[in-house]
Amino acid sequence: MPSVAKTQAIISKVYPQIRVSERRGCVRLEGTLDRWEDIVEAGRMAVDRKRWHGVLNDITLKDYEEPPISAPAERDTSLENADVDVLIIGAGVIGCAVARELSKWKLKVLLADKESDVAMHASSRNDGVVHPCIDVKMRSAKMTYGRAGNRMFDGVCKDLGVSFERCGQYVFTDKWWVVAASPIYILKALICKIPNAGYAWGKKLRALEPHVDPKYKVAIKFGSAGIVCPYGLTIAYAENAVANGARLSLNTIVEGMELTGERITRVFTNRGAFRPRVVVNCAGTYSDKVAEMANDRFFTVHPRRGTNLIFDTKERRSNSALGVALSDASKSAHTKGGGVIKTVDGNMLVGPDAHETPDREDVGTYAESIDAVIAKHSKLVPQMKRGQIITYFTGVRAPVYEEDFIVSSGKFTKNIVHAAGIQSPGLTAAPAIALGIERLVLGVLGGKIDKNESFNPKREPIPATRGMDVGERGEYIKKNPDFGEIVCRCEEISKGEIIAALNAPFVVPTVDAVKRRARAGMGRCQGAFCSPNVMKIISETCKIPLDGVTKSGSGSEILCGDIKPAEGKR
Amino acid sequence: MEKRYKVVIIGGGPAGLAAAAECARLNVKNMLIEREPVLGGILKQCIHDGFGIIRFGEKLSGPEYAERYIDMLTAGTDVRLSEFVTGIKKIERGFELTSVSPCGVKITETDTIVLATGCRERTSRQVGITGDFPAGVFTAGTAQYYTNVLGKRVGKKAVILGSGDIGLIMARRLTLEGTEVKAVYEIKPTPSGLNRNIQQCLNDFNIPLILGHTVTRLFGKKRLEAVEVSAVDGRLNPIGRPERVECDTLILSVGLIPENEIAEKLGVELSPATKGALVDQSMMTSVPGVFACGNALHVNDLADYVSESAVTAAAAAAVFDYERPELTDVEYSDNMLYLVPQRLDGKRAAENTIFYFRSRGDISECRLTVTDNGREIFKRSYMALRPPEMERVVLKGAVRGRLKFTLDEKSGGGEK
Repeated sequence: MPSVAKTQAIISKVYPQIRVSERRGCVRLEGTLDRWEDIVEAGRMAVDRKRWHGVLNDITLKDYEEPPISAPAERDTSLENADVDVLIIGAGVIGCAVARELSKWKLKVLLADKESDVAMHASSRNDGVVHPCIDVKMRSAKMTYGRAGNRMFDGVCKDLGVSFERCGQYVFTDKWWVVAASPIYILKALICKIPNAGYAWGKKLRALEPHVDPKYKVAIKFGSAGIVCPYGLTIAYAENAVANGARLSLNTIVEGMELTGERITRVFTNRGAFRPRVVVNCAGTYSDKVAEMANDRFFTVHPRRGTNLIFDTKERRSNSALGVALSDASKSAHTKGGGVIKTVDGNMLVGPDAHETPDREDVGTYAESIDAVIAKHSKLVPQMKRGQIITYFTGVRAPVYEEDFIVSSGKFTKNIVHAAGIQSPGLTAAPAIALGIERLVLGVLGGKIDKNESFNPKREPIPATRGMDVGERGEYIKKNPDFGEIVCRCEEISKGEIIAALNAPFVVPTVDAVKRRARAGMGRCQGAFCSPNVMKIISETCKIPLDGVTKSGSGSEILCGDIKPAEGKR
Repeated sequence: MEKRYKVVIIGGGPAGLAAAAECARLNVKNMLIEREPVLGGILKQCIHDGFGIIRFGEKLSGPEYAERYIDMLTAGTDVRLSEFVTGIKKIERGFELTSVSPCGVKITETDTIVLATGCRERTSRQVGITGDFPAGVFTAGTAQYYTNVLGKRVGKKAVILGSGDIGLIMARRLTLEGTEVKAVYEIKPTPSGLNRNIQQCLNDFNIPLILGHTVTRLFGKKRLEAVEVSAVDGRLNPIGRPERVECDTLILSVGLIPENEIAEKLGVELSPATKGALVDQSMMTSVPGVFACGNALHVNDLADYVSESAVTAAAAAAVFDYERPELTDVEYSDNMLYLVPQRLDGKRAAENTIFYFRSRGDISECRLTVTDNGREIFKRSYMALRPPEMERVVLKGAVRGRLKFTLDEKSGGGEK
C-alpha cells in the first residue's frame, strides 16, 4: 500500500528498526526503541490526518514495563446488573460536564471514576486558564470547541455557582520583530472571531501589571481570556449532574468489556457488570486503553507531564494571565510556555512546563521542573520570591499524536463515543465538548428520548463567609453558629462551610475533598493547623471513626489507631 | 459596638497569657482574644517538661505553665474564646477590630494592640521536597497534636527531618508510643535543637542523628511508602547518590515562621532576619500603638522568654499615650543572626532593657561588648554560642543613645 510505504520510508530514515503497517484505516508502528522521546517522535512522524484515522503507536520502550494502573481497593456488587443507559468513564471536567448535559434527558446516566473524587487528574492539575484559543490551529477541533467553550463560560459558571473572571491574557515581548509580526495574531483573531484582541503598552500596561519587568514594553492583549478554578468547575458539573438524577460511582474501575458484533454488550467493573446502551470514553490518559477494550482504538495517547507552582496570596504579582511571546519561550513545540497567572482565589500560579513521559499517572513533582518553571517565568516577573511558594503539583496531559481533540463516535464499535486527546485548551472547550458529546450520544441511542422535566441547571455554591460584609456574615452566623467557627485560619474557612461541603449532592468524606470544595487547608500552612479539626468534622458529619478518615480515599489513612493505653490500674 | 479597651491582646498562648496577666497586675482594662476554644496555644499539646524554669523557678509541663498564667487573670481581662480576628482598622487614637465567633461578628475599639499570634511550621513544600504527596507527612507540631491531644498514633515507621526542638521531642514521643523512629536527618552540619533535647530525646533512646542530610523526595500514591534521603554539600544542595528509606511517616521540624498576617495588614514593618516586626525596647512596632511579642516577634527557644517579651509589651501598651517616639536603630555585628529589639526609643528610657540575640554560626569563645554612644556599658564572655540557643542580655540603667552590639570572636573560633 503506497501510503504505508511512504510513512515507512519517512520513519525508516530515522528509526530503521520500526515497522509500519496499516490496521483498519490506522497507521500502526511496532518495534522497540531505547528512548521514550524517540517513540514519541516516531509517533509524530506517522501523523497524516488525510490518510489515517490516527496513529497506533505500539513501539515499546526497552527495559521499561508500564506501571500498573492505580486501581481502587474496593470490590463489591453495587453496580451488578445496574440499569444504565449511558456509562461515562472518567469524571474529569469532560466526563462531569457530559453527565450534566445528559441529565437534561430521561436517561439513566452512570458516571464512573477509579479515583476517590472527581477531578483527580488533569482536571485539577492545570492552570485554570480559559484560553482565547489564539494559538490553536485554525481548522481544528481545538479551535471549534475551544472558541465555543470560551463563549459559554460566563453562562455556565453563573448557573453552576463557580467563580469565573474574564481577566484577559497579556502576551509580552521585548523583541521588535515579534511586535512587527504580531499583526498576524490580530488578523487570526479577526478571522477566527476571537474578540477583544489588541495591544497594550506604556503606562497603562505598567499600571495593569506593575510587576512585569519593564523591558517588556508591549503586550498583545486577548480580552476574552479568563480564569476559573478547574476542579471547582468539575465538582460543580458533577454535583449538578447528580442533583438532576445522574449516578456517580467513585472508586470504580472498568476492567473489561464484552462485545457482540459491533456493539459493547456488557461492561465489567470492580463493582459488578452491567449492560449500558452507550459508553462515553472520557478516560483521559487511559482513553486509548478504554478504546482498545471497546475494540475501537484508532488513536494513541502520549502522556505529557506539567508542573505548576502556587504562591502565597501575599505574593500575587499578576492581575491576569501573563505570558511571554513564543519566541522567548521554550523551544519545545508543545510547550505553549505557560505563564504567571492570578487564580480566582487570589494566589499566583506559575507554570506549567511540559515533559513527555511513558507513565500515564506520573504526577510526582521533580525539583528540575520547579527550577525550570521559576527560571523561565522570573524573566517576566523578576521579583517572584521562591520562599513564597506554598505548594506545587504535577498533572499529566492526554494528547494524541494528531495533537487535536477527538470528539467522535466509534469508528468500529457502534455504541461508544470518545472525548479523547483532551489537553489545553480542554478546560476551555469542556462546556462545548459536552454539548457535542450529548448530541453524539443521543444519535447513538436513536429514537425519541424524553426531556427530564425537572432538570435544574442551577447549583448553589458553598457560601464563602470570608468575602461577606459584617451584616451579611452576622446574619449567616445567627442562622447557623457554625459559620462563625473559623477552622482554617489561613483561608478563613468556617466549620459551616466545611459541613456544607459534606452535605453536597454527592459527598466525598476525605480531607482532600473538603480542601478542594471549601478551601480549608489551601493556605500557607497547608493544613498543618486545621487538618485535625477538619478530620473531626468529617468524622462527626459523615459518621465515620476518626481513624477511618483518609486524605484521599482508602489506603491514604492519616492515623493508625490509638496511642498506648495508660499503664497500671488505679 | 463593644466598650473600648486600653489593650487588646491577640492570641492566648504563652505570650498572650503573660500579656493579659501583666494587664491584670497593672489593673488595665484588656481583652484577650483566642481563636481556639481553650487558652494555652501550643502549650496545650506540650506534655513534656522544661517550661517555667526561668519564670517560675520550677520545671512544669506546657499545660501547667499555661495554667499558672490563667490563674493570674482577673475580671479586668475579657477572655474571648473561639473568636477569630478578621480585620483591623486604624481609627483616631486607636484601632477598630472586627472578629468572628459562633456568637456573631463583633466590632471592638481599643487604644492599643498586642500581637501574640505565635508562629506556624514550615511545610514539606516550603523546603522543596518533591515527588508524591501522600498521607503520612506531618509537621512536628501537628503530629504532636494528634498524639498528645487526640491520643492517636500517626504511623508505625517514622523518619524525622530537622533537628529542631519539636522534632527531637517528637522523636522521643513517637518512640514511647511504639513507633519506630529510623533516624533524625538534619540538613545543616550542626543540630538545630537544644543540647538537652538531643541528649534526652535522641541519645537516651538510641535514635541516630544524621547531619548534613535531607529528605529530597517522597514515594507513595496513597500513604507514604518511602523517602529519598540525600547528602548535601556546603551550600546545602543535594549531592551524591540518594538513599531510599522505607517509612510510612515523615515528621518535619524544619523551621518556624512568625505569623504576622495581621501585622502586615496594619502596615507594620517586618524584619527579614526575624520575619517578625521591627520593635523598640517596649516591643512597639513601627505602627504606634501596635506591640508584638513572643514567637510572632522572633522564634524563641524557651516559652519563658516568650512570656517575658509579652510582659514588656503589655506593660508598655498599658501606659501608651501616642507620644512620638525618638527612634534610633541599634547596631550589631555581622556574626549575630539577629538582635531584638532592633530600635531604641529615646523617650522610653526604662530601668532595664532586655535584648535577645542569636549568633549566625557556632562560635566557641567570644565576647559581647555593648557601647552606648561609643562608651562601653556592658560586656560578657561566652564559652560557646550556637544559633539554636537564644541569648538574653539585660542592660541596667537608662540607655538612650546609639547602642552597638559587637561579638568579638577569639582567633580560631568557630565557623562563619
